[in-house]
Order: sequence, then C-alpha cells, then structure tokens
Amino acid sequence: LDFHRSPPKVSMAMRQTPLTCSGHTRPVVDLAFSGITPYGYFLISACKDGKPMLRQGDTGDWIGTFLGHKGAVWGATLNNEATKAATAAADFTAKVWDAVTGDEVLTLAHKHIVKSVNFTQDSSCLLTGGNDKIIRIYDLNKPEAEPQEITGHTSAIKKALWCNNDTQILSAADDKTVRLWDRNSTEVVKQLSFDMSVSSMEYIPDGEVLVITYGKTIAFYNALSLDMIKTVDAPASIHSASLHPDKDFFVAGGDDFKLYKFDYGTKEELESYKGHFGPVHCVRFSPDGELYASGSEDGTLRLWQTAVGKTYGLWKCVLPGEFSCLMTNN
Amino acid sequence: MSTLVTVLRLPRGPDPNGRGFDPNSTRFVALCPTTISASTETWTDSVEVGEEQRARSALRESFLRTLIAMTNKQVQFHMYERVEVEAKFGASDIDVLNFQVSELQTPIGVQKEALLRAKHRKMLLMTVYDADDPPIELPTDD
Repeated sequence: LDFHRSPPKVSMAMRQTPLTCSGHTRPVVDLAFSGITPYGYFLISACKDGKPMLRQGDTGDWIGTFLGHKGAVWGATLNNEATKAATAAADFTAKVWDAVTGDEVLTLAHKHIVKSVNFTQDSSCLLTGGNDKIIRIYDLNKPEAEPQEITGHTSAIKKALWCNNDTQILSAADDKTVRLWDRNSTEVVKQLSFDMSVSSMEYIPDGEVLVITYGKTIAFYNALSLDMIKTVDAPASIHSASLHPDKDFFVAGGDDFKLYKFDYGTKEELESYKGHFGPVHCVRFSPDGELYASGSEDGTLRLWQTAVGKTYGLWKCVLPGEFSCLMTNN
Repeated sequence: MSTLVTVLRLPRGPDPNGRGFDPNSTRFVALCPTTISASTETWTDSVEVGEEQRARSALRESFLRTLIAMTNKQVQFHMYERVEVEAKFGASDIDVLNFQVSELQTPIGVQKEALLRAKHRKMLLMTVYDADDPPIELPTDD
C-alpha cells in the first residue's frame, strides 16, 4: 500500500494513529457532524446506551451528554450551526435538544421506534422516520401542530434525509427501496429497488450526490435524478460509507471491523485500518474533510486522519533530526 | 519502516459527575440567552449594563439572605409522588441542588440528619413556616 497518495512531501511512511473517544457503554450506531461554526465543528453520537453525546469535532473532546431518552438511541443529528440536536430512539420518541446547554427542548411522540432525524438547512423543520414506516415532517416553530405524514414504505424506515434545498426527501427502508419524495405533494418522484436492504445512506448537497451501501457495495447516485454514478465493492460487508467533501476519496466500514479508504475517481482501495474491536456501524467525514469519524459495536468512536501525518487537531507532525515538516494542503 | 503519527493527548472523556455543557465555555457564554434582555442587546451601553449588574447583584444578595433566614426554620418539602416531608432547614449547596436538613420526618421514621437532592431542572416546592404555627391546609403542586 502506498501511504503517500495524499501529500506529505517527506519520504517517511507514517502509520495512522486513530484517536479513540470513550464514554459510551454500548454500541455506537449513528454519528453526525455539524457544519463549520465560529467555535469549530461538532460531532454527535447515537448509542444503544440511550445517552447521545456531543463532542468537539476536531479533537473528539467530550462536551456533554444529552440525558432524557429511556431507550437505545438509533439516530442523532445536529443542525448546521450546532445550536440544536435531534435524536431518534427506541422509546418511541424523537427529541430536540439545545446543543449549547444540553437541555431537552421538545419530545415528539411516535407510535414505534424512531430511527432517523434530520433538520432542514434553516433548522425550522425536523424530518423523522422509523419502524412505523411513516415519514413525518415537524414544524419546530409550531411543535404542537400535527406533523405532515408521508406514507408508502412497506417496512421500517432506516434513514430519511432532506435534499434538493429541502424541497425533497430521500428515504431508505427495510423494504429494499430508496425513495425520493416531493415535500409538498408528499408523492414519490422516483424509486430505487435493491436485492437487499440498504445499510446506510449519506446525502452530499454540494454536487447532489447520494451514497448508498448494501452488502459489500458502496454505490453513488445523482441525488436529483437517482441515476447511478458508479458502484465499488469492498472486501467485506459494509454498514456505512462517506464521501470526502472534495470528492476525491470515500471511506467505508462494516463487518470486518476495518476502515477502508478508496480513491473515488479510480475506485482503487488505497488504505485499510484495523482498530475497532467490533463491526463498524457508521462513518462520516468531517465538514472540512481533514478527518473521518467511525462508530462501532465496540462502543467507541474513533477519529482517523485523511492525510496521515499532517498536523491537525490532536495529531502532530513530529520528525527527528533537522528535517522540518513540509506538509501542505491538498 | 513506518512511524506512528504523534498525538498530543487523548480526547477528553465524559465527566462521571455531570452531563457537561460547561456554562463557562466560550460558546455557552456567547450563545446562551440570559433572562435579562440588556445583556444580549446593549453591551455597548455601559449605563444599562451597569444597571443590570446592580440588579443581578441585588437579586443574588436577596437570595442568599433568604437562605440564611431559612436556617433552622421548619420546612415542608413537596416531592415526587405527592410525598411531603418536614424537616429543619440547614443549608443549600451552591447550585441549590442539595439541601442539608435535620430531624427529617419521613413516613418510615425521623432521620436526624439528611441530605435531600433536588433533581436538575425540576422545581422543588418548599413551604417555610413557624414550628408553632403550621399551616392548616397544605398547598398542592397542581
């Protein structure tokens, strides 16, 4: 494996040192980054221990734990400014939190386990989806009002995401379909069918790319047309994948506990890293692309450098002797 | 031969004693709305800020004097599940989350010294009265 595809200009092989974030006591099943705020960027993790945590995104330092759910938390998200958080749980509720104080702001009762939550760009609406097969849209300015409901899926919804400037919705369910809905008409615009259940979905607004994983495959689609761009197969069953903001790399993790890094253009597997002690359930690039975070069955989150050896966050480029560090940006 | 990338330190883990969200962090101080509007809008107006600070100071002093005045008074605590207990008030901790009391009268006996914990963010109603002149009708928390 060639470790030097991403510049360092120095000719020394650097080995990836992941940063382990401990604190959860059960499997970490979902994670999400905020946008870049004046205070940096943030990371929220959903855990089966029912206690989602907020961390500083570039260091993994714990900031706080959102206390209130009475069951496993299956989904978690932050708004762009990291001022609000939302969580989806097995206690049949979705909750909205103040991500600065940690206070619970809203509890939205559902009729079954909630799996997915997602804010619109302006944080005014919350999308939820779960085991009752219904997508709901809550107006956070009028939380007592009944949510708008979108029906159609025939099995539990895994993920529901706003797309196309919050005018459409993408959803993935155990009925082996991914559906694109119009928010106003609540009707299906287009649908993808697979031979097996989709394990994860990521939406990249810049460039309108949809990343879907199923089996050992990582698939990339145009999010507006649902036309397939390309598919890449990994050595093991993949649970989650994430595309780098510059669209030069993507990372994936799954059943074999490893993190894989691929070249998006050539589909070549570049690097793989061991580290987790259990299957990887979720992986996401940070908003600046400098690192990616993974959550595992082993109860930990790990932060991995995109450019191994670069000085960033808690990683420091240290070289012996008189050589100075000549790291440059991509 | 490859070298492990150096790490300055490990990520900080959770505080076992609290839920975090440090109110002294830069972000918290900058983003958290205060209950007094002057703080959020007119930092440039030093007269208003000064007035606000004086008001806050007066409120703090009044609160502390109330706590001092309650010392050794009979107090009634209205707790969860409509449980009501009486005790002699001793002191509160700095966050007003824990109360030190004496002669706590509980359904299962009298506790000479006890620490009562108020759950974070929940209001705990206390009625202070003279031991010689207890109220006849107890207020409810409906």
